[in-house]
Amino acid sequence: MRRLPIYLLLDTSVSMTGEPINAVRDGLDLLVSTLRQDPYALETAFLSVITFSSVAKQIVPLTEVTEFRAPHIEANGATALGDALKTVARCITTEVRKTTADSKGDWKPLVFLMTDGMPTDSWEKPLQEFRASKPGLTVCCAAGPRADTTVLSKISEVLVTLDTADSATIAAFFKWVSASITTSSRKIDLGKDDISRGDLPPPPAGISLSKT
Amino acid sequence: MSTVNLTADSGREIAFLDEVKASGAMKDIYFSPDRSYVVGFFRDPPANALKDRLRDIVTRYRENLFEKEGGTFWRSHFCWPTDTVTHNGRIGVVVPFYEKAFFFEHGSKNNDMLKIRGKDKEGKWFASASNREKFLDPREKGNWLTHMRICLSIARAVRRLHMAGLAHSDLSYKNVLVDPTTGKACIIDIDGLVVPGKYPPDVVGTPDFIAPEVIATQSLSRDDPKRVLPSRTTDRHALAVLIYMYLFYRHPLRGRKVFDQDPTKDEELGMGRQALFVEHPRDTSNRVNPDDLRLQALPWGDPAQRPYTMAGPLLVDLFNRAFIDGLHAPEKRPSPADWESALVRTLDMVQPCSAKCEMGWYVFDNSRLPVCPHCGTPYRGELPVLNLYSSRTAGNYLPDNHRLMVWDGQSLFPWHANRTVYPNEHLEERHKRRVGYFQFHAGDWYLVNEALPGMRDLTGKRDVPVGGNVKLAEGAQILLSSEDGGRLVQVQMAGS
Repeated sequence: MRRLPIYLLLDTSVSMTGEPINAVRDGLDLLVSTLRQDPYALETAFLSVITFSSVAKQIVPLTEVTEFRAPHIEANGATALGDALKTVARCITTEVRKTTADSKGDWKPLVFLMTDGMPTDSWEKPLQEFRASKPGLTVCCAAGPRADTTVLSKISEVLVTLDTADSATIAAFFKWVSASITTSSRKIDLGKDDISRGDLPPPPAGISLSKT
Repeated sequence: MSTVNLTADSGREIAFLDEVKASGAMKDIYFSPDRSYVVGFFRDPPANALKDRLRDIVTRYRENLFEKEGGTFWRSHFCWPTDTVTHNGRIGVVVPFYEKAFFFEHGSKNNDMLKIRGKDKEGKWFASASNREKFLDPREKGNWLTHMRICLSIARAVRRLHMAGLAHSDLSYKNVLVDPTTGKACIIDIDGLVVPGKYPPDVVGTPDFIAPEVIATQSLSRDDPKRVLPSRTTDRHALAVLIYMYLFYRHPLRGRKVFDQDPTKDEELGMGRQALFVEHPRDTSNRVNPDDLRLQALPWGDPAQRPYTMAGPLLVDLFNRAFIDGLHAPEKRPSPADWESALVRTLDMVQPCSAKCEMGWYVFDNSRLPVCPHCGTPYRGELPVLNLYSSRTAGNYLPDNHRLMVWDGQSLFPWHANRTVYPNEHLEERHKRRVGYFQFHAGDWYLVNEALPGMRDLTGKRDVPVGGNVKLAEGAQILLSSEDGGRLVQVQMAGS
């Protein structure tokens, strides 16, 4: 059975303190409870959480939706985006099953990266490592006006911008993430990324989606 | 939350709560305050063709279906849009809320651990062996007989659409709600209907159900003459996949064969140009490898343990046409009417499991000592099988390839007694009541005649009056009706 690995890369730097980090905690709960009610996700989706502040750490390894327990996350430290990319590249390489001549591997992983600031470490070389790990669709989310969208748009072709990092908007983002994981009908005119798994759902109010 | 009031295009007053409750590929869904209907607004700016199409769907096509003879029959088969509205420059459709049977009453195991009670019964819950085994409350799961009825209901509904010249274009377990507790199914998302030559499709379909020729040409431009878009022919593929998945809880094309190292390309080839039936009798390269499955997906996930031949010869023939002959030759795919007819006849060949196991029912395997393929229990007791014959020319009876299994509680209906009566939307009220039943008495089975005036025991050379009965013995011949199209049965005794 082909699994759909989903990596969530979450910025837990000090600037996320307060409402934003609470909203991320709630967002994770919402994401998991939504996926637990989706028969497609229950069969195929596997989730992993990687947080990054001064360093990045995989706090939940790739886990089936029903087994997933929301991790405890706190906001402090810097924004080691580069370390996050390096970590996810390593996790993808070790956790995602490759297709071999006689056995089917997993789907290409979906990667959602959310940050509210600027990277405090170098990210160019880690980005190459990330690319080399062959991720599937990668979505970067700029949470609020202080996020560095220039860097994010280099990381992925899909950039989601949240007007503000308040709880309602972050909740809407996580809802959108869960909708983009589940399957739906495919439109006639597909973009190149959409061919394997349908379209991204339309973003809700307060969230804008751009493809670079 | 605010309520929006509108006048629909028919002049009817419509209201909805201003909160998106769900979003599909094309629309956002809002609920009416009393939850008797929903309003689905298209996100894209309305093109004239869309408006025209929706108007046709809610007026002409709807009236043709529901306001003609047999119209009430279809109400439970479709969730059909009733009106169109325009609001803030967006066009929407008004659709009735689903019937209560299509919402989970018990939901998942362990006191609904997934909290799905009250959610709609999307088909995927039931079309997956591991979801059924791991999550569903046993009270939601139905049995093999109700799943076969679900398939009949879907085949009928698609047959009716195709008869009207329409194609659904996006049949999938998302767009068909099912209720295994009663065997009902309901087609939703009707607004994507395709009218050949008039309204082109909006979507190519949903993964798992898109026909191979559509996938194989999906990267061509919409106007390329080689591009294949959804039609009644591709609906036939989706229908066959739905039926296979509701009977076997696995996908007919997802096996072990690796088509490409890249999963995206592998999927494109495996569902498209190189698609291969996992149970192909000669090409075994795409067999399911049970080691690839979750433990809970067994036994259904493994065709070696639950082969498609379990569905009996009539359905096997159609699966062969759909997934072997017609997989890459769309014109060879069976029609919805073929499925309907085969399912009606197969349902008569279904017998109960003597151990009353979870699946409960199975198709007679034409052997003297049938064994339940679900639990391995041999059939206990005598099992009369009535082979139906009918005459096209006086006195000359030919087999109808239709059998009726006799078990406790089985009934004889007018469509068994007469070849010209067919159990569909045209069935007259007087033909809905049973005309006979079967009774086990002192070690023998009897057919009791309740309403067939011309019944005659040809072996015993005597009439069987209404209220009378005839013993079912090996080789016995009974004429059920002397009317035109009246059937003769030849009794065969199986079981022990």
